[in-house]
Amino acid sequence: MAWDISRRVFLRGAGLAAVGVGFHPSSLLVRAAQAAEAGSRVLVQVFLRGGCDGLNLCVPFGDTEYYDLRGGIAIGRSEVVSLDGHFGLHPALAPLKALYDDGRLALLPAVGNYALSRSHFDAQDFMESGTPGDKSTGTGWLERSIAKVPGNAVTEAVAFSAQLPRSFLGPEPVLVAQSLSSFDLRARNWRAEAETLLRAMYDARDDALGHVGQETFAAMAVLLRTPAIMAPPAGGAVYPNAAIGNGLRQAAQIIKAGIGTRAIFVNVPGAFDTHANQLAAHTLEFTRLAEALVAFARDLGGQMDDVALMVTTEFGRVAFVNGSAGTDHGSAHCMILMGGRVRGGRVYGSWPGLGRSQLYQERDLAVTTDFRDVFAELARAQLGVDGSSLFPGYTPGPGPGIVA
Amino acid sequence: MPIELGPRAAVHLLNRIGYGPRPGDVERILGMGLDRYIQGQLDAPADPELDARLRGLNTLDYPISQVLTLYNADQRSIAVILDQLYTAKLTRCVHGQNQLQEVLVDFWFNHFNVYIQDGFARFSTAAYEREAIRPHALGRFRDLLGATAAHPAMLYFLDNYLSRATVTTGGRVVRGLNENYGRELMELHTIGVDAGYTQEHVIDAARCFTGWGIDNLSTSGRFVYRPQAHDTGAKSVFGLDLPAGGGKDDGDKLLDYLAAHPKTATFIATKLAQRFVSDDPPPRVVDSAARAFASTGGDIREVMRAILGSAEFWAEAFGSGKAKTPLELVASALRAADAEVSTGRAVVAYLQNMGMPLYSCVPPTGYSNRGADWINPSSQLYRMNFGLDLAAGAIAGVSADVRGVVRRMGGDSEDPRSVAGTISAVIFGKGLSPSTLEAASRVAPGGPVSVAARVAGLCLASPEMQAR
Repeated sequence: MAWDISRRVFLRGAGLAAVGVGFHPSSLLVRAAQAAEAGSRVLVQVFLRGGCDGLNLCVPFGDTEYYDLRGGIAIGRSEVVSLDGHFGLHPALAPLKALYDDGRLALLPAVGNYALSRSHFDAQDFMESGTPGDKSTGTGWLERSIAKVPGNAVTEAVAFSAQLPRSFLGPEPVLVAQSLSSFDLRARNWRAEAETLLRAMYDARDDALGHVGQETFAAMAVLLRTPAIMAPPAGGAVYPNAAIGNGLRQAAQIIKAGIGTRAIFVNVPGAFDTHANQLAAHTLEFTRLAEALVAFARDLGGQMDDVALMVTTEFGRVAFVNGSAGTDHGSAHCMILMGGRVRGGRVYGSWPGLGRSQLYQERDLAVTTDFRDVFAELARAQLGVDGSSLFPGYTPGPGPGIVA
Repeated sequence: MPIELGPRAAVHLLNRIGYGPRPGDVERILGMGLDRYIQGQLDAPADPELDARLRGLNTLDYPISQVLTLYNADQRSIAVILDQLYTAKLTRCVHGQNQLQEVLVDFWFNHFNVYIQDGFARFSTAAYEREAIRPHALGRFRDLLGATAAHPAMLYFLDNYLSRATVTTGGRVVRGLNENYGRELMELHTIGVDAGYTQEHVIDAARCFTGWGIDNLSTSGRFVYRPQAHDTGAKSVFGLDLPAGGGKDDGDKLLDYLAAHPKTATFIATKLAQRFVSDDPPPRVVDSAARAFASTGGDIREVMRAILGSAEFWAEAFGSGKAKTPLELVASALRAADAEVSTGRAVVAYLQNMGMPLYSCVPPTGYSNRGADWINPSSQLYRMNFGLDLAAGAIAGVSADVRGVVRRMGGDSEDPRSVAGTISAVIFGKGLSPSTLEAASRVAPGGPVSVAARVAGLCLASPEMQAR
């Protein structure tokens, strides 16, 4: 693959230069080498819309308070898939245990930021802009990350979503698609003429509508000349027929096609806003989530070494069950991280506990890791991007050290 | 090229307070006068022609209990009922004379969003739109708010039917409250997320509605108030103090209070201005709409009058436009092509691919009101393809005779330049740019797809068609 050759050549050059300056490589060269090293890596963000409850995803079954707080919707000690004797996976997530044991999947509970707020819309907006509490930020955190990556291939940034996610908002071109298949004009018997004339209409404009038309035709050209994009899942992977399955299946396709994709966003609307009957909703959604993640890992095989994926959501939910066998909007949530370079097999972060005085405002699981520290760590590891200037008004900490 | 003010203003009006011009509309409303057209739209008189078109859709008026009875007898019946609802929605947008009313029904449904695929919502969404939204679309905001608050579809979607007083029995707290409606009522329906309310206010707002429920989810599906589930303690919500001992009226009083709150006037005015004027509406038009809201006790017709009378609204006629949502794009293309919609299923699939399936926005937030949020490469491909397919007659359940339309409007259907010029005049107020006209005129003669279908397809897929 051309990509690999240029990467190796560049690294060799950087190494020689380092030798040339007497074993004291300048920080610039180190950074260049890091960027080159990251050159074929991919960052995948899966966003579960609705505020996915973390306490029933990664269950702190070692805390007796958990059972007092959760009552009828608690996951019993005999049902959880124990990870370390204190935390365990929801039973519908059991297929993830093998990835965890294999050291390729990690969990990070108690992540978030109090300024995200308990409003779905605000919390999603704040998380995606990376500036909790500040609505004036005009760009998304992934857009700012990808802007620092050299090159601007039309398929460098891809979102599997009906709309441009806030995370990618900004001037960088992004391919937003619900489906990569039949990404073509429907003009049977006059397709060439239709494309020529429509291109002329959109090329003549230098405004948002013109640009989106131009991006559409550019993406169409790349996708149509890359038939590999339609390759069926490898390794016997079977994706669930749901937003997360369709999103990750296509994410794997575009990664395998090798067309320079570096950042992928998978939008997952679903039944995560579990104000009522949480157990039934989670069984459905977590089954899909686990099947999709397992299929993705199987499908990519060795290429998983270049991928780091995080599953995130706008907020977690109240620590105690509400009156409807559900949970209302809370604060800290739980992230899932997966990939060949994820130091998995561990539950990360500092656990704040579930005692009355340990809860935030006596109701929510407290936040002990700022979500931006994790975002910055992934941007650094996968895109070679320096995270210190990624979030206006915030310098990320060292990060939990989940990605090597 | 000098701009002809009349046609451009007429097209602007038709695009903004409706789903765009049908062939002949521009001439017709210029003939009657734009003022009179606006007045007619605000009056929204009976529309017997539309009623006749809807008559075949026999399940549209079924009460929830009847839908449940049918479903209990045969679960397949719900698919027919939903198909009829979708077809009716498109028929109203495409063929209804009261275009402003249809735009506002869509706007308010979206403002008080419920998600049709969610359990009981499947059986109650049609009734919700018919009973809670449509009668008040141009009426009083308080009536609209009250009708949504007490409607089984909303009680279900935001879980309030499950919410009851938290009680202490034998020293043990049994939680009963569900905060969902209490929060969204303030955040999304009235004062807005930035109003400054607290978590305690959310809890107390939810407590006001404890006991507001649904009689029986699988048979009657009617509103019921259950006094034994109501939290009778004192409540304090964002400046409203309710003493202990209240009942269902706790909720009614909170709705009165929120509907009359100045923050609500501003919140609603902003959102309406965003729909009708621009993604980031000028403060002047928002202020005047908010004043109209406050001074008339939330009379939506008067708020609309303020917006449509503003200089800001008319200035937009000569701006770059506001990107259409998928529904606006699809409905306006169907109208432009003078299409007949007999069944909506194929069109619904297009809307799904564009990211806007009918009645199916999952979050309570509703679909974005900002045009810019709908413009992306994937959606753009489906938008262009919809125009191409429509003109080629390739959408099931939809018939369009673009050749006939061009001829009827005085164009030569075999001459690309004449077809493009006719469409530009009739649909765009002569607003197609020289580059678009020039490209559309380059269509080659002959070939298996007619000149008129190809030129019309290109015009319906053009950049100008994407904005209103």
